[in-house]
Amino acid sequence: MDPVITVEHLTFRYPTIASASTEAAALKDVSFSIHAGEFVGITGPAGAGKSTLVLTINGIIPHFQSGIFQGKVLINGRDTFETSCSEISRQVGSVFQDPEAQLVTPTVEDEIAFGLENFGFEPGLIESRIQEALHLIGITNLRNRSTSELSGGQKQRVSIAAAVALRPGILILDEPTSELDPMGTMEVFEVLKQLNQQFGLTIIVVEQKINILMEYIQRLLVLNQGSLVFDRTPREIIKEPETLHSVGLRVPPVSELAYLLKKAALYTEELPLTVDEAYSGLQKSLGRRKEEK
Amino acid sequence: MIQVTDVSFQYPNGFTILEHISFQINRGEFVALIGQNGAGKTTLLKQFNGLLKPTSGNILIDQVNTKDSSTGELARKVGYLFQNPDHQIFLPTVEKEIGFGPANLHLSKDEVKERVREAAAEVGLTQYLNENPLFLSKGQRQRVAFASLLSMQPEVMVLDEPTTGQDYQEGIEIMEMVKELHQKGHTIVFVTHDMELVAEYAQRVIVLSEGRILIDDVCRKVFYQPELLKQTNLFPSQIARLVQKFPDYSKRFGQALTVRELYEQVLKMTESDFRCLL
Repeated sequence: MDPVITVEHLTFRYPTIASASTEAAALKDVSFSIHAGEFVGITGPAGAGKSTLVLTINGIIPHFQSGIFQGKVLINGRDTFETSCSEISRQVGSVFQDPEAQLVTPTVEDEIAFGLENFGFEPGLIESRIQEALHLIGITNLRNRSTSELSGGQKQRVSIAAAVALRPGILILDEPTSELDPMGTMEVFEVLKQLNQQFGLTIIVVEQKINILMEYIQRLLVLNQGSLVFDRTPREIIKEPETLHSVGLRVPPVSELAYLLKKAALYTEELPLTVDEAYSGLQKSLGRRKEEK
Repeated sequence: MIQVTDVSFQYPNGFTILEHISFQINRGEFVALIGQNGAGKTTLLKQFNGLLKPTSGNILIDQVNTKDSSTGELARKVGYLFQNPDHQIFLPTVEKEIGFGPANLHLSKDEVKERVREAAAEVGLTQYLNENPLFLSKGQRQRVAFASLLSMQPEVMVLDEPTTGQDYQEGIEIMEMVKELHQKGHTIVFVTHDMELVAEYAQRVIVLSEGRILIDDVCRKVFYQPELLKQTNLFPSQIARLVQKFPDYSKRFGQALTVRELYEQVLKMTESDFRCLL
């Protein structure tokens, strides 16, 4: 099957940066492709180009942000230069970091209707899409609430519902949990998991919270200073924590613990991504050691 | 150093966000203030430098009631780092930004310069003194904001989510600077959602829930009461959660909070420990 997103030798430089050297490019020769139904995380230190990459996928670059653009971005096989931003937005739903900045209407219902109305949907269809989106995200009970009185996690779920109402095949989120407490963060990831597993949505999430990211995603892209430096599964990444350390990031604490214990021959199982995996792995490893004694 | 007595706070729209809170923070403590979104953490922090004043009850900073003192006066005692450095930075060069507070203390020009130099060196911004903060990275802007606190040499540092929006490395760098200040005798109060950071740095943890104090204890005790934390939508650090999955954990693993602590515990385990554990 053809990929839903293809990024080929993408280099992007913002116009404000005077120097034309590749050093100043926000993205440098980035290539990868994503297939339908993948759940991909993007991480990297500050200034790595994560947000710029998001903007090239949802079409804001090149349609609203100019700059020097080399290479290609294809969404469902079509070059973003040759597709209007509104067409791209039907295929790629976007959710941003700050829910306050994204929510524009007074109630949850209006918020979800907003995009649909702007695309000129029939009132009857708008109603059914609102119901569908509320149901998918599990927030039907919030329908008539004022957006200003919601918790951070609820607000971000409303933003996701508004994006999903347009039935995009791809959902891209730029640090959707950075303002959220641990429970709100988990709520957002649970919703993403469900959209991915039950409805086959392709999900791309930029995230700094590595512990939760490793628990949910299937594939991690690591950017550093504009370049794509790793593109691996979480299981591959935790086997070499040094690779993340080298760009100023880290693996989850339980993975790091098991890695250190394994080096000391005290951990015999596959390295864990979650607390539960670490528990069963540690139990077995210690049990094995007990038998040996 | 900070004495909070029966403090309640109501926003002008009538919403009560803090209800009858009392506690005290002594000189030299390193305190994390945690709680879910909307628990009142930032509202409480803002009482410490007089940005907000209690609707009822009293807050004494070094014996002085915040009600009898201006924010300007309190700024000498309490430095406040906002969650978003861009809400704080407003001058065209890093040097002016860091020097703004001291210049308002009626210090001599040389003294201001010296304070700016020291503060910039402390956060590694010496080579950026003539830059416009707008052209620096977010992490660097956070350090500019931090340096403008340092230049005031306040005894108490109050930090609202100092690592949000930063990458892991930048977050650790900020916290290491904070730790150093603590070792020099400053009193530190910080708000965060990152429980790994709490495990690594805080000595004492105050948990706010719906405008009240749910728990106030040393970090280890707080993270080893997960049922209580759960009431307010928080979880302990990963390592504390892992340890607590084992029956009888306390006898064998102690109450580890960080990778380093648990790693050392496991290395030390003897045969009889294994038997007991499994």
